[in-house]
Amino acid sequence: MNMIDVKVAAIKQVTPLIKHFTFVKEDGSELPSFSGGSHIVVALDADGRTYRNPYSLMGSPTETDAYHISVRRQENSRGGSAFMHENVSVGMTLKITHPVNLFTLAKMAHKHILIAGGIGITPFMSQIEDLKRLGVEYELHYAFRSYAQAAFVDELKKSCGSSLYCYGDSDGERLDMQGLLSWQPLGTHVYVCGPSPMVVSVIETARNLGWPEHSIHNEQFLSPPVGEPFKVQLAKSEIEVEVPAEMSMLEAIEAAGVKAEYLCRGGVCGRCELGVLEHDGGLEHHDHFLTESEKASCRKIMPCVSRSKGKRLLLDL
Amino acid sequence: MERGYWIKSKPVYTSLVWHEKATSHLVLATGIGGMAVLKLFQQMHPRQPVTVLYARYAQMDADYSETLKKVVPENLYIFKFEEALLASLKEILPDTRMGLRLYVAGSEGFIWDVAGVAKQFGIDDAEIMKELTDTLARSVYCVHCKSVTRNVTTNIVPCCGCERMLFVRDHFSRNLGAYMGLMVDAESPGELPAIEEIYP
Repeated sequence: MNMIDVKVAAIKQVTPLIKHFTFVKEDGSELPSFSGGSHIVVALDADGRTYRNPYSLMGSPTETDAYHISVRRQENSRGGSAFMHENVSVGMTLKITHPVNLFTLAKMAHKHILIAGGIGITPFMSQIEDLKRLGVEYELHYAFRSYAQAAFVDELKKSCGSSLYCYGDSDGERLDMQGLLSWQPLGTHVYVCGPSPMVVSVIETARNLGWPEHSIHNEQFLSPPVGEPFKVQLAKSEIEVEVPAEMSMLEAIEAAGVKAEYLCRGGVCGRCELGVLEHDGGLEHHDHFLTESEKASCRKIMPCVSRSKGKRLLLDL
Repeated sequence: MERGYWIKSKPVYTSLVWHEKATSHLVLATGIGGMAVLKLFQQMHPRQPVTVLYARYAQMDADYSETLKKVVPENLYIFKFEEALLASLKEILPDTRMGLRLYVAGSEGFIWDVAGVAKQFGIDDAEIMKELTDTLARSVYCVHCKSVTRNVTTNIVPCCGCERMLFVRDHFSRNLGAYMGLMVDAESPGELPAIEEIYP
């Protein structure tokens, strides 16, 4: 994949767990333009391997002299977010991908309800800029554990004004999903980004109220889960790759020098889909892309987040 | 008709079936579309509120209003003509919330007139359940003068705007609610294929 070299121009500790990184081109030229909701994949070389993690761009899409991302240090980080927090410093060069948008605003909608949980606020920060520029009605509902740990609240208050609604869990403030989604005018679209139970709750509530499928949007990047080690045989490349417990299948294939397609690396976009020719014990699907029947058929797999339940897989690659 | 060949823009219509998940239901029908409404009421009646708007006179002058009055328990509004029904729809939609499910049965012209009104309120036509009744007559958009000729039942039709003889194609515009019409004798003026009624 065609990567862009960027320099880390600034790092800011936003909360004890969240750092904000600013990237610029080394020669000071403009970065590729993007739309609200886009993400980039950052490649990190650590411990003799390459992590490639997706992060939402949170700056204004009208400003392309710098990219802004925020990284939450994950409690059980496999290394990616910990590396970003501990090893990345101002002046370093990193490789990033071109922006891709898998979380676009529906331009025909009359009203937008944005629901963020914790660090899930990041894709909305660029979308808000688009919404304000378009002059469309929107509400941003931002839920977090506590005001002390919540990122960007003051900044959002300034830019969103009365369109911002905050819910601090430790202050007993809860977002009433049913109430919120029961009383929206026709032509409203809902967007959610946050922890899995919140995403599921929004999708289920909206569906049960009869919101049409295409008016419900979500983005939920998964980090590859740790699992049991297994072997992958690549039918076309005629090689065998060991997938260790804390490495994804995609990372292991890449480390073996085989070129594999990818885009989001978080089980969302479907680009890295591979055909499964043989398996010995079923597949451990973690993605949000394949349908339930595709998952059950065991003939396709998303190597970015999914694994084998058995000891060996034969892939069409 | 070529086997296995299909113009993707050509709409596919189905039979009306209640959506299980909804906050409210709004059913719109004209003429023989009244039968589609009666068929809906043969199914399990939804828990959520149902409103039915019915216009008696359509292309096929078939009036189901008396039967509908007996079958639809409440919120039935009967109109003489489609225009009055559409005006009423415009009054209902601003006060309606997300979770509304729309059902429409009637001629293709009526279906897309409803879709046009719904679109102004941010409702995509894909959200509307549509049953084609009454007639296969088409609205035809002239690619030369941009006029729309309505209620076309033949393969070739004179344009109501520029009088060119138009060949009616299967390419459909959801935005216009009309099929594409292209001058049929542009290369050899006056030489027309047989004109046949194929959309009765």
